[in-house]
Amino acid sequence: MNKKSPVYVLGFMAAICAVFGTGIAIVNYSTQGLLARNATLHRNRVLCRAFDLPVEGTSAEAYQAAVDAHLAMADVGPAADGRTRYTEIGPGRNSVGYTFGGMGFWDRIKGIVVLSPDLQSIRNIQFFDQKETPGLGARIEEPWFTEQFKGLQIDWDNPRGDRIVVGATPDPDPKNRVDAITGATQTSMALMRFLNDELAQIRELNMEMGPLDREH
Amino acid sequence: MGSSYTKILKDGLLDENPIYRQVLGICSALAVTNLLTNTLFMCFGVIFTASLTNFTVSLLRQHIPTRIRMIVQVIIIASYVMMIDILIKAVAPDIHRFIGPYVGLIITNCIIMGRAEAFASQNRPLPSLMDGLACGLGYSAVLIAIAVVREIMGFGTLLGIALPARELWWTQWTIMVMPPGAFFMLAIMTWFARAKLVKQEAS
Repeated sequence: MNKKSPVYVLGFMAAICAVFGTGIAIVNYSTQGLLARNATLHRNRVLCRAFDLPVEGTSAEAYQAAVDAHLAMADVGPAADGRTRYTEIGPGRNSVGYTFGGMGFWDRIKGIVVLSPDLQSIRNIQFFDQKETPGLGARIEEPWFTEQFKGLQIDWDNPRGDRIVVGATPDPDPKNRVDAITGATQTSMALMRFLNDELAQIRELNMEMGPLDREH
Repeated sequence: MGSSYTKILKDGLLDENPIYRQVLGICSALAVTNLLTNTLFMCFGVIFTASLTNFTVSLLRQHIPTRIRMIVQVIIIASYVMMIDILIKAVAPDIHRFIGPYVGLIITNCIIMGRAEAFASQNRPLPSLMDGLACGLGYSAVLIAIAVVREIMGFGTLLGIALPARELWWTQWTIMVMPPGAFFMLAIMTWFARAKLVKQEAS
């Protein structure tokens, strides 16, 4: 057959796509169990870091046991939002964590923000997933950045977009500000925008639902 | 036959090394070399993709329509990269979280497409497989050398294992962990390789 004919070209492309598409599908299907286990382990590690939970060992089972023993989980808000609330259980533990997410510079950023029960301050912030620029925006996961959020006050009297400030502020002594990431202004601004928005929604949700149920 | 394979291997590793002679694949060479473990996984990805892409392109070279050959090569490369990406994500998720973006960028790595177009599309499958393997190994040799120096100097570790009593005798060079450290090392490696390993070119 003439290799220049449109029929041959289209047929060849279709065949190549079918063969390699099938190959990728086979590899993906055969690793699904492993990928699901890895995803659960990653989620549990992030939760343990976020709530500073004691973990006995480094195995997946140890992380799962720590999460099961110290956290109660509930899906809250409209189903479309897919927000999950994690409530600490046990003596001396009263933090409450909410999953949050928003559009970063390249893709959606998903994380968990751990709050005091009165929602006046952030106790920790950790990220489940982000695809920001490596070495720049991706540094939001690094401890020097997340450590800044520990004990950060949420200034509920400010306008909705300025209750938490990432970067510069005219306030000489701000209690609601963290440093932005040098060279990653877009990621820093995006985080500030959607974190403030998510905190406002969390407060509204909390007011609708009333005091936290501690009977778990 | 044996000697031609040896020459292909030697060319890929030394005389036509993709990093210090052809200056290809520099982006990932700079990005993933601050930890040796990350580098090893990246090297595995490039060796896997370069070898199998060359083999496949060579196998199909009589049937690929000339007008769309580059599109076909991209499909082949992208497929192998997606497979290796899924495998690394399944086997080493922590490493994948760091090098994931760069594994995806293997698709646009000039080494892979350059060798597919320059060698595999004109040669038989086995020499093409060997050429891909040699280029992958040449790329890996340089990256591993850079990574060993950067991890030791920057973190005081090798493969994550701390040097003996490092706090007593070693001050970590933070710049080696950061991107400028990669530029310095790459320049030094290129100078060393061109001065010592490659025969003088005729002026």
